[in-house]
Amino acid sequence: MEEKDTQCDNVVDGSASAPVIQFKPPLYRQRYQFVKDLVDLHQPKKVADLGCGDTSLIRQLKVFPCIELLIGVDIDGDKLRWKGEKLAPVLGHFLQPRELNLTITLYCGSVVERDSRLLGLDLITCIELIEHLDSDDLARFPEVVFGYLSPSMVVISTPNSEFNPLFPAVTLRDSDHKFEWTRMEFQNWASHAANLYNYSVEFTGVGAPPAGAESVGFCTQIGVFRKNGGKAAESCVLEQHAYKVVFTASYPSLQQERFLRLVMVSEVSRQVESLRVRYLRRLKEQRDKELGNEPADTGPEAPMLCFGPAFTEVERDRIKKSPKPFCVGNKFFVPLKRLLAYPKLNRLCISEERMRSVIASSLILSCDGSAVVVELYDYFDHLFDF
Amino acid sequence: MRGRARVRARGIARSPSAAEVGRAPVSVSVSPSPLPPPVALSDNESTSSSGFVETSSSSLNCKNDACSGDDGNTFTKRDVTIKRNFMDLGICTREKLAHVKDCKTGSSGIPVKLVTNLFSLDLPQDWKLYQYHVTYTPDLASRRLRIAMLYSHSELSNKAKAFDGAILFLSEKLEKKVTELSSETRRGETVKMTVTLTSELPASSPVCIQVFNMIFRKILKKLSMYQIGRNFYNPSEPVEIPQHKLSLWPGFAISVCHFESRLLFSADVSYKVLRNETVLEFMTALCYKTGSSCIIQMCEKQLIGLIVLTRYNNKTYRIDDIDWSVKPTNTFRKRDGTEITYVDYYRQQYDLTLSDLNQPMLVSLLKSKRSNNGEPQLVHLVPELCFLTGRLTDQATSDFQLMKTVAEETRLGPLGRQQRLARLVDNIQRNKDARFELETWGLHFGSQMSVTGRVVPSEKILMRDHICQPVSSADWSKDIRTCKILNAQSLNTWLILCSNRTENMTESFLNCLRKVGNIMGFNVDYPKIIRVQENSAAFLRAIQQHVDPDVQLVMCILPSNQKNYYDSIKKYLSWDCPVPSQCVLARTLNKQGMMMSIATKIAMQITCKLGGELWAVEIPLKSLMVVGIDVCKDAFNKEVVVGCVASVNPQITRWFSRCILQRTMTDMADCLKVFMTGALNKWYKYNQDLPARIIVYRDGVGDGQLKALLEYEVPQLLSSVREARSNTSSRVSVIVIRKKCMPRFFTEMSRTVQNPPLGTVVDSEATRPEWYDFYLISQAACQGTVNPTYYNVIYDDNGLKPDHMQRLTFKLCHLYYNWPGVVSVPAPCLYAHKLTFLVAQSIHKEPSLQLANSLFYL
Repeated sequence: MEEKDTQCDNVVDGSASAPVIQFKPPLYRQRYQFVKDLVDLHQPKKVADLGCGDTSLIRQLKVFPCIELLIGVDIDGDKLRWKGEKLAPVLGHFLQPRELNLTITLYCGSVVERDSRLLGLDLITCIELIEHLDSDDLARFPEVVFGYLSPSMVVISTPNSEFNPLFPAVTLRDSDHKFEWTRMEFQNWASHAANLYNYSVEFTGVGAPPAGAESVGFCTQIGVFRKNGGKAAESCVLEQHAYKVVFTASYPSLQQERFLRLVMVSEVSRQVESLRVRYLRRLKEQRDKELGNEPADTGPEAPMLCFGPAFTEVERDRIKKSPKPFCVGNKFFVPLKRLLAYPKLNRLCISEERMRSVIASSLILSCDGSAVVVELYDYFDHLFDF
Repeated sequence: MRGRARVRARGIARSPSAAEVGRAPVSVSVSPSPLPPPVALSDNESTSSSGFVETSSSSLNCKNDACSGDDGNTFTKRDVTIKRNFMDLGICTREKLAHVKDCKTGSSGIPVKLVTNLFSLDLPQDWKLYQYHVTYTPDLASRRLRIAMLYSHSELSNKAKAFDGAILFLSEKLEKKVTELSSETRRGETVKMTVTLTSELPASSPVCIQVFNMIFRKILKKLSMYQIGRNFYNPSEPVEIPQHKLSLWPGFAISVCHFESRLLFSADVSYKVLRNETVLEFMTALCYKTGSSCIIQMCEKQLIGLIVLTRYNNKTYRIDDIDWSVKPTNTFRKRDGTEITYVDYYRQQYDLTLSDLNQPMLVSLLKSKRSNNGEPQLVHLVPELCFLTGRLTDQATSDFQLMKTVAEETRLGPLGRQQRLARLVDNIQRNKDARFELETWGLHFGSQMSVTGRVVPSEKILMRDHICQPVSSADWSKDIRTCKILNAQSLNTWLILCSNRTENMTESFLNCLRKVGNIMGFNVDYPKIIRVQENSAAFLRAIQQHVDPDVQLVMCILPSNQKNYYDSIKKYLSWDCPVPSQCVLARTLNKQGMMMSIATKIAMQITCKLGGELWAVEIPLKSLMVVGIDVCKDAFNKEVVVGCVASVNPQITRWFSRCILQRTMTDMADCLKVFMTGALNKWYKYNQDLPARIIVYRDGVGDGQLKALLEYEVPQLLSSVREARSNTSSRVSVIVIRKKCMPRFFTEMSRTVQNPPLGTVVDSEATRPEWYDFYLISQAACQGTVNPTYYNVIYDDNGLKPDHMQRLTFKLCHLYYNWPGVVSVPAPCLYAHKLTFLVAQSIHKEPSLQLANSLFYL
């Protein structure tokens, strides 16, 4: 499902050199999972991944409903351009839009440059990034990320060099690494930065050491920084654009009127149709009973086939309390209040008034606008013997 | 074929190790249906016909042709697979037709200047495409890595190139035939790449055409268009029809093709119909309707074979089976060997929560290239996460109201169409990336093409004792209102079935019918009227009771347009007890003030059903049989319905028909032979000789089927003619008809564009050099843009001059008795279509041969 070719040149995950230690799941996935768990827990709205590389973390983060702004920054613009296209919304996103807007933007630039478009974020991730920075850049890094961008939360991961002796003949895990730190070195650096910019930091990691070598610690060490006193008030800062936009995409969502209408009208039509069919079925059963006919299929319904929405107690109760659908002549009426009681429409959290205005142009409503009206019988009903 | 695949799918599905879903294929190539679906929208089949998503760099599917050992270094020759829509291009039929070798254009008629939707694409004189094969030492398994390695090389960085990981196309030749390159991976490993020239291709070769098409696909993506199937759509301006759970995306069908004398880019407006419905929602709705007793059969009947889209990864799959024993709570083995439930997998991977834990799983067979033992891999898909997208279900396409809404939303007049084209071309020319792409390949995107067509003279309509020159050949109903039809059998013994409610209405209609019959020269006696209850069973029972061998016709006044009335009546009277029948909706008879014209239309239909003839046109050839063939898919049995209709008199007013049901397309040729023999016997019986000439119009030919047609069908047709009892063999022509073709033609009139006049023929520029082909406009479009019909003469013994072939074809468009005007295809084809439609939609069986001599299917 995700391509990880670019990881091949990393000895830890590479398959070519058959490392002695193999992580399950692979280490890079453990790192991503760590970030995903963090997102799950803290529900950030605006997230940036610095050094996003082939954008695979961005691709995994974009499925989170809470995220509304997703930024990737990398120095390799060509790669971003190439991979960026994969982040564009696809057919399915139009068919089943997200609830909240989402914008994804990829910037080409250095993480030690200041760009005001990254201000006010909830989470910045720097996964296996700092070890690629030379000493000058590394020195400027805390000032930019903690001092200038100053997000609510920062996650920094980097190799733990104490783990390296477990690999065969390895000095640095990647030819581009400028350094690899021991836990002590990383923690000193991180604590210093945290103190300076008023963050607190906790250390953890992924890639547990094998039995017997527990003392070396995690293969990847991770620092989770949280700003003391929560999110700072957004002060007015000078607009400063150091990065070049390589790619940007905004996703369809229910916050946009036309997708809301699309989703609502199809859901209403579906619900009305199922109510209509159930009504016809009941009519037929009544008719059969009056005529003294035995119901055609008396066999017990196979339990495995009872699919369809399963309601909770609360939902069932809410539906029960709502006005019932009814029939006048050959017209079938379903009150909007009833429709709003069903979970899928209820979840959209909109008023009857709003619902009416959204669906009015697509569906036929009763004179007072309180119900959706359809013909009781339709062209295909004969297929189903009503 | 499908049956076997299903059995196999089942067999594998139930073996425990096979349940694997995490394994997404590189590209899902969905097996295409053998026939284009009979839907009136321009792109419904496209989703199923090619890989869904293109990779960023190249889309040429390649396959291994010969593997020489397992050593990665040996040269493995791979050929470019020609896609189905380009397959026909390599087939040259014209060179075998001596009489049109030098010139296939006609000269009669009034010249007319036409604007097209074609744009010139110019290339330098000596332009060639260079095809290279690239091997890697050490071998790299990852296609992406291969591409990245090669692309990063300075030698190639500024060149126009297309590369799929093995085959490289360049527009400029490299210095040496074999070029050795080397690159370093990030880890410092040196990879040697050997680039070997395998062929030099002229711009007209099918491979080149495919590459050009790829270039344009790339360009349209640059314009933020979204590719689905072969076409490109703009998701930002959709038309939504939520009450039918549909969205329509406007877009373009584009292609690059080598036309008569040059390379041309063609673009046509197209709409993508998308369904906003998941498989689970569909199944639930079905379950409500049918009850759970037969839900398994109903679901399988409706769903198997459909294409679904999974929202989370934007892949398309074909539903090959439904596995009712697997639930989302079951586990499967992931690639890394761990077991996980479907519920957990989708939650972890995509943050998706499944709401229904009782839903069964859909099974799809993958023709993944990765499979090691050649066995197709399986995936299990969760219905809740699969969108029914691609094609509309059969039920939806037969929903008149729905199709009408779709048609209304998508209809576009010539001017609107022209404006959209202009905008597209403008966008291409303004876009920097698009321009750069074209320039590096040496392509010059030129101007909109004009062609000169000819308007052939209109035809006179021959009535019994009157020759009439219609005011417009689009509709001559007014011109013939007072004329007597050619020949009609008297209607003496017949039945009318109606309900109590419609009895009065029926009486007054009957009066009208007799009145117009009188004017037309068609004697209608008073029928036996039978009153029945308003349900389909009552109608059928009454028919069974009252129909005897003397009954000439059964007319049913149907109380509603529920399909079962029509189906059960037609089924019984076409198969069990063959008697011509006429169904009339009560609602139709209610239309006040229209009674006379309705009665006229019905009187004409009845005449035809009794074997009468309405009108004729002058046919200069004295002993000519014309044949129409069409195919259609049965809505329920998933069978192929082949309909054949042949004229049995020299005036071309009487027809013999047969309809044959087939399991697969491959048996097509055999059933043609059966039909041809029957038709020739019939001709012999009526004319005491065999026809001197036979012209066969073959409709329903899909992309890439031309070869099969030439190799199997044409020889079968010829042999059945040869085997017929006669010393002199008839001369045969076979013409393939396409109702959908890329070119569109407009006439320019005082700063606006209009549809061209009826009878416009185009046989130059927009045609293809290797074929004997022409376009004919024989269809009036009041709203919307007219679609030219494309004729490709693939076999021709008759040696008629192109002028005569074109005019004869136009004449035949006048002979469809269900419409007093010209129709889009020659009458025999439309008859064949009508016949297959009736069988596929209602009868589902081969109609009785006793009806073969009348137009009972009108």
